[in-house]
Amino acid sequence: MSDLKTVGTTVPRKDAMEKVTGAAEFIEDRYMGPMLYAKMKKSTVAHGKIVRIDTDKAEKHPGVKAVLTGKDYPNMIGLYLIDRTFLAVDKVRFWGEPVAVVAATSEKAAAEAVELIEVEYEELPGVFDPREGIKPDAPIIHENLGNYEIVPIFYPKPGTNIANHFKIRKGDIEEGFDQADHVLEKEYYVPQMQHVPIETHKAAVQWSPDGKLTVWSTAQSPNVVRQLLAKSLDIPMHKIRVISSYIGGGFGCKAGASIEGLLVPIAQKYPGHIIRIVFDREEDMQGTFTRQALFSKLRTGFTKDGRITALQYEMIWDGGAYTEYGVNIVRAAGYSSTGAYDIPNVKTDSYCVYTNNSIGGPVRGFGMCEMQWGIERQIEEVAKHLNMDPLEVRLKNGMKRGSTTASGQVVHDVDYEKCLKLVADKIGWGKQESGKDGKLRGKGIAGLVKCPAQPSNAASSAIIRINEDGTAHVMVGATEMGQGMLTAISQIASEALHIPVDKIDIKVPDTDFTPYEWQSVGSRITYTCGTSVKRAAEDALGQIYCIAANLLEVPQEDLSYDGKKVYSNKDPNIKATIREIADSCKKCTGEGIAGPIIGRGSFVPTNMTNLDPETGQGNPGLFYCFGATGVEVEIDPETGVVEILQLASSIDAGKAINPQLATVQLHGGTIMGLSTALYEEVRFDKGIMLNRNFTDYKIATFDNVPHIDSFIVETPETNGPYGARGIGEQPMIGVAPAIANAVSDALGVEFNSFPLTPEKVWRALKDKK
Amino acid sequence: MSDKIKIKFTVNGDSEEREAVVGETLLKFIRDELNLTGTKSGCEIGECGACTVLLDGKPVNSCLVLAVELDGKELLTIEGLSKNGELDRLQQAFIDHAAFQCGYCTPGMIMAARSLLERNPNPNDSEINKALSGNLCRCGAYQEIRDAVKDSASK
Amino acid sequence: MKMLSYDYVKCTGLSEAVDILAKEEQAYPYAGGTDLMVGMRGGKFAPKKLVDVKDLPELNVFEENDQGIIIGAAITLNQIACDDSIVKNIPILAEGSHSVGGYTIRNRATLAGNICNASPAADTAAPLYTLEALINIAGPDGNRSLPVEEFFTGPGQTALKKGELVQSIVIPRPFPAGKGVYSKASRTGSVDLATVGVAVQNWGEHVKIAVGAVAATPVRALSVEKAINEKGEKSSAEAAKLVHNDIAPITDIRGSREYRYHMVEVLVRRGLEQTMGV
Repeated sequence: MSDLKTVGTTVPRKDAMEKVTGAAEFIEDRYMGPMLYAKMKKSTVAHGKIVRIDTDKAEKHPGVKAVLTGKDYPNMIGLYLIDRTFLAVDKVRFWGEPVAVVAATSEKAAAEAVELIEVEYEELPGVFDPREGIKPDAPIIHENLGNYEIVPIFYPKPGTNIANHFKIRKGDIEEGFDQADHVLEKEYYVPQMQHVPIETHKAAVQWSPDGKLTVWSTAQSPNVVRQLLAKSLDIPMHKIRVISSYIGGGFGCKAGASIEGLLVPIAQKYPGHIIRIVFDREEDMQGTFTRQALFSKLRTGFTKDGRITALQYEMIWDGGAYTEYGVNIVRAAGYSSTGAYDIPNVKTDSYCVYTNNSIGGPVRGFGMCEMQWGIERQIEEVAKHLNMDPLEVRLKNGMKRGSTTASGQVVHDVDYEKCLKLVADKIGWGKQESGKDGKLRGKGIAGLVKCPAQPSNAASSAIIRINEDGTAHVMVGATEMGQGMLTAISQIASEALHIPVDKIDIKVPDTDFTPYEWQSVGSRITYTCGTSVKRAAEDALGQIYCIAANLLEVPQEDLSYDGKKVYSNKDPNIKATIREIADSCKKCTGEGIAGPIIGRGSFVPTNMTNLDPETGQGNPGLFYCFGATGVEVEIDPETGVVEILQLASSIDAGKAINPQLATVQLHGGTIMGLSTALYEEVRFDKGIMLNRNFTDYKIATFDNVPHIDSFIVETPETNGPYGARGIGEQPMIGVAPAIANAVSDALGVEFNSFPLTPEKVWRALKDKK
Repeated sequence: MSDKIKIKFTVNGDSEEREAVVGETLLKFIRDELNLTGTKSGCEIGECGACTVLLDGKPVNSCLVLAVELDGKELLTIEGLSKNGELDRLQQAFIDHAAFQCGYCTPGMIMAARSLLERNPNPNDSEINKALSGNLCRCGAYQEIRDAVKDSASK
Repeated sequence: MKMLSYDYVKCTGLSEAVDILAKEEQAYPYAGGTDLMVGMRGGKFAPKKLVDVKDLPELNVFEENDQGIIIGAAITLNQIACDDSIVKNIPILAEGSHSVGGYTIRNRATLAGNICNASPAADTAAPLYTLEALINIAGPDGNRSLPVEEFFTGPGQTALKKGELVQSIVIPRPFPAGKGVYSKASRTGSVDLATVGVAVQNWGEHVKIAVGAVAATPVRALSVEKAINEKGEKSSAEAAKLVHNDIAPITDIRGSREYRYHMVEVLVRRGLEQTMGV
C-alpha cells in the first residue's frame, strides 16, 4: 500500500474555507421563505397524568397560527422500540417533556403564547433510580410496553419498567470462578452526561401544496429521519426530503430522529410556510438524549498469576423516560462486556430500565465509556490485589489476533499490545515521580475497544459523477458534523479514481439527491461510506476503461490510466485524456460510445449476525477498534484538585486516511473523555435537571486541557477501505478510567464513580483517613 | 415597547444606518438584520463564546449586548476578517492546523483570538488559555487552536 | 428562556438617570449588562426600562486622588485587571477582577455590576471588603457613601434604595503596605463561579480577611483577624481554623457545606502563609 497517493496524506479540510470565514451554512443560517416560529410548552412534573390542557388563550394570542397538543397528534416514533410520541399523550414521563407546541409569526409571540397554555397534571409517583425501577412494585412508566413495536433483537418485559434485558452466557461461569484463585466484586456508577454540542437541536419543515414534506434538520442521519417519519406519518418516502446542513457537533445526540416530526401537522396546515424550531440551551440539555446513567456490579475471578478466568457483569441502566434508542446501548454494552480482554467465561445481564429522568440515548462511546469504566477500574484492583503491574495484567489478558469477545466473535487485525505500550512508554510507566509542595503524583493506564453498534444490515451507498472536464462529484448520505467525513471520503474517492482531491466536490446530504446511508454514528462512516465510495470509484473506473477501449480500439487489459489519461501499454501515444473520455464519449466518426460516467457503490456488512437470545453469542461487530490512554496526574490532597501532567492517547486506526484529521479527532475524543472524567455530571432532583446550562454544567476549556501526545497505530483492517477503520468515539473511552487509575495510584484510594471533582477526591481521601 | 431606534455604525468597514428593535440583542441584529450569519448562537448567557464579535476592537459576547448599543460603534464580525477574498493569517493558520472540527465555535474563536493577537502579538500557551477560556469548543480542538494562534503570531 | 421586552433609554447626565430610576417602575440601570441580561433571560429580573448609564462621564472616572482610587461604575473588570497601577499596588483587586468570567465577559462586566448583582460568590467582593472600599451612591435624595460591607444585605440584595445607583467605588488611602491575595476554589479552575473565595490582605500592621460563597453575603473572617491582630496568633493553621465561626455555608450544586467549610479553612491558611510569611 506504499504507493498510495492521497490516502494517508494530510490535505486541508474540504469545509475549511467555509468554516473559517463564517460562510459555512448551518440550518439556522439559511433564509428559507415565509416562516412560522415554534415553541414548546413543557411539562412541569416528571410523571403525571394530563388532566386538562387549555389552549384557548394561546390560540387567540396575536400572531399565533397554530397550537398543537398530543391529542391532535398521537403518532408514535422510535428507532428500535417505538415508545415515543412527538407530544405527550395523556401522560408525561419526564420533566420538560413537550405537551404542546405553538407556531406563530414571531418567536416572541410563540413564546408568549406558550405561557398562556394551561396544563393541569395529576402527579404520579416517579421512578428516579433504575435500581428502584427494576423492582416488581415500582410504579410502571409505560403501561403499554407489551404492545409497542420493537425490533426483535431486544427483550422488553411487559408489566415492568425493563425495556430490554440483554444476556451473555459465554463458557461456563461456575467453572470460571472455580478456576480462579481470587474473586473480586465491586459496584460502579457512572452518572448521566450531556453532549452539549455548541449548536443545539434545530429543525424546520415545509409542506408543499403537492404534498411533499421537506425537512431541514441538525440530524446526524437524514435517511433515518426520513424512514421514521415515513412510518410514523404514513407518508411514502419519495414524498419526504430531508436535508442535513453542516452540523455544529453531534456526539450522538442528533442521531436517530428527534424533533423533526414535531412540526409536521402545523406545516400541513400552512403549506408553503416554513415552520422552524430552535432549541435553547436548557431545552437542548433536558429535552434531548442524555447519556444513560449506569449502576453496575462486576465480579472478576482470576488466578494468582493474573489470568482472568471469569467475569460476571450486572448492568442496570437508567434508560430515562423513553428508550427507543437506549435499548441498543444496553445491548452493545452487553455484547462487549469484557472490554478489551479475552475472558473465557462470562455471564452478563444488562438491563435497560425506564425512569422518569430525561431520555437516555446515544453518546460518543455508546455505552463503552460507562461499561469499560468498570472493567478498567476492576483490572486495576486485580493487579493491586496480586501486587502485579496493572500494565502486565492488561497485556496478559488483552485481546490479540484470534481472541474472542464476550459474544464469542473472533477478532482479527488487533494490536492492542502496541496501543498499551505506546502510551505506557510515553508517560514513563514504572517510574515513580514525586510531587512538589505536598502534592502527590500517580500514573494510570486504561485500554479500550469499540465496534460500531449498528444493525447487521445497516447499509451505505455512494454515487460518483464524472463531469465533462474530468472533475468529479461524490454523493453520499453521510453527514458532516466535524468529524471530517467530507475530506476523508474525498480522499478515498481521489485515491481510487486517481483524480486529485481538489478536483472532487462533495456536499452534505439531501435525501432527494444523495444515496442512502444508514446513520453517521458508531464511528462507522470511514469504513462503510468509505467502502461504498471506493466501490463507486472502481465502478466509474471500469466505465472509463470501457469507453477508452472503445475509443482507442485497444483491449481494456492493454490499457493503463494515470489519472489524466488512458493509454495503451504497447504504444503510449495511443491515448485519450480523461476529459475526452468523460466528455465526448464518441469516436472520431461521431458514433457514440456511452453516456456520462456515473459510478455506483454500496455496502452492507456480511460479517455480522444476530445474537442468540439466551447466550448473546454471535457476531455483532463490523470491526473492532482498540486503543489506550495513559496519564500522569498531580493531586493537591488538601483541595482534591487533580492536575493532568501528561496525557497520552493511542488508537488503532488501521490506516489514517488523513493523519492530521485523525489526530484532531483523537485529541477531541480524548478531551471529551477528560472533561467527563473530571467535571461532567447531569444532576437531577426528582427528575428535574438542575444544571441545565453552561454556568453549572461545566465542560473542559483551554485551561483544563494539557498537551496531548497522540499515537495513530496502523494495523490494517482487512476489509476496511485501504485498511481503515473508524476512530471517532474510541479515544474518549479510556480517559476516565486512566485518570482514576492514576489518582488511585497517587492516593491509594479507590474510585468507583466519576467525575473526579475536587470535592469527590477530597472526600475519598478523607474517608480513607 | 418593541420600539425601534435608528442607529448609525460601521460594520466590517462599511457605514450603515439601520433601525434596531429595543430589547433585541446584538447577536440577533447581526444575524437577522445584517444577515451576517457567521456569528453563532450557542447559549445566550455569555458562557460559550460562539457569538463573539469585536465592538470598537474589543471582543464581546454579542448575546449580552443590546443591538441599540451599536450606535456610533465599529463592529467587526468574522465576515469582515478576510479582505478581497484573502484570508487573515489567523484564518489561514486555523486551516493549516485543522484547528476546528464542526466549525460552529470557529467564528467566535477566531474573533477572540484575533483580538488577543492585537493585544499581545506573541502569546504563549498560558496567555492563550486565559484569553480564550470563555470560548468553548466541544469538539476539543484546543491544542490545534493554540498551535494556530502561535503559528499565526510568529508569521 | 424568556423573550425580552422593555424600553431602553441612553442617558446623557447622571441626574437624568437618577430621575428615571426614581420615577419609573421596574427601571434598571444598565452598564455592562452581563448579569442583567442573563437574569432577564432566566426570569430573575423583569425590567420595564433599561437605563443605559455606561457612557455617563461620572461613571467613567478611573483616577487616583487624595481620597484614593476612584473606580467609576462603568469601568470594566478588564480595565481594572489590566491597570498597571492596580496590578502593582493593589494586586488583590486585580486578581479578584480577573477571576470573574472569561476575558470577553470582563470587557463588558463592571466592578460595580459585580457587587450590585450581590452574589455571595462575587469574586470582587471579598477583595473589596479587605480594602475597606466605599461605595458612592447617587440617588434622588442626593449622594451617599457606604462601606462595602454594609452594601451587601443578602443574596442578590443590596442597600440600594429605589432610584439609587452606584456611581463609583473608592479604594481609600492609605493603600495596603503588605501583600494581598485572592484565591478561589471552583469546580474547573477555569471560567467558573467560586465554590469558595478567600481574600487575605496584609496591611503591614494588621491583616484583613474576607470570604465569599460561604454565607448569605461575603463576610469578614473576624475571628481569624482577631486571633492574629489582637491575640498574636502566629500559626496560620490555628488561625485559619477559626474561620468556621464566621461563616454559614450551604450545600448547593457547586459544592457541599462540608467541602466549603474545609476549603475556606485551607484557603485562609494558604492566604495567610502567602501574605504573612508564616
